[in-house]
Amino acid sequence: MTALDVMWVGLGGGIGSLLRWWVGHVTGRVYHGSFPLGTFLINITGAFIIGYLSELFSVDWRDRYGAALNSGVLTGFLGGYTTFSSMELDAAKLNGSKGAGYATYYLVLSTIIGLIAAWCGFALARLQG
Amino acid sequence: MINAIILVFAGGALGAMLREFIMLMVPHVEGFPLDILVANLIAAFLLGLVTALHKRAVLNGDVNSMLGTGVMGGLSTFSSMVYGALILMMTSTSDLTVAILYLLANLILGYIVVILGLKLGGDGVTPAPRPRIG
Repeated sequence: MTALDVMWVGLGGGIGSLLRWWVGHVTGRVYHGSFPLGTFLINITGAFIIGYLSELFSVDWRDRYGAALNSGVLTGFLGGYTTFSSMELDAAKLNGSKGAGYATYYLVLSTIIGLIAAWCGFALARLQG
Repeated sequence: MINAIILVFAGGALGAMLREFIMLMVPHVEGFPLDILVANLIAAFLLGLVTALHKRAVLNGDVNSMLGTGVMGGLSTFSSMVYGALILMMTSTSDLTVAILYLLANLILGYIVVILGLKLGGDGVTPAPRPRIG
């Protein structure tokens, strides 16, 4: 890993985090329900994009750096944009307000829809290429 | 507003770089993305801790934006977690089992550590505030 890779990861991570913050902000203004919709939408769209770009540019999922695409976009931007920690914090909050069943539902739903979204991105890239 | 933008950007950049360094330090396990799991668990624990400290006003809003939204968000990743699992699932039946166990490990351990972080920071997850009487 070179200094340039570190720079790409940092730059992508900063931009991705800003976009996450902004999407969360906008979603919060439009939607006022108890479902953590902002984090959910962020994670699902991020999963779609990683599946699409990885397949389109034939990036092995274990290669996280070495070029601007995998270090800046896949590791940096999408890693900064999507979030696992907020999802778990949302679940802990839901457990407090809506019960364990709803918290489990949110976690499992995010993961399954995330898998499907990643697969859709992957399949779309296959169709194109 | 501009403060929040700078703090989230700087925090997210730092978090993403930290994630890469953590992942480089985690021993490589063939066919199991242990490195992403470790980064996610560290982030979830620290996010619980920062959230609790913010709620108790030990940390102010700016620090919370930088650490909670920025660093912990950049440190953890959902996209790499599901994509790694998806690729494993498409490889073979035995890898499919590993992928499901891997996702469950992320979800369950992540939940446990976020609660631990919240408790350590002095805040159990508080139920929705009760309406004030009187």
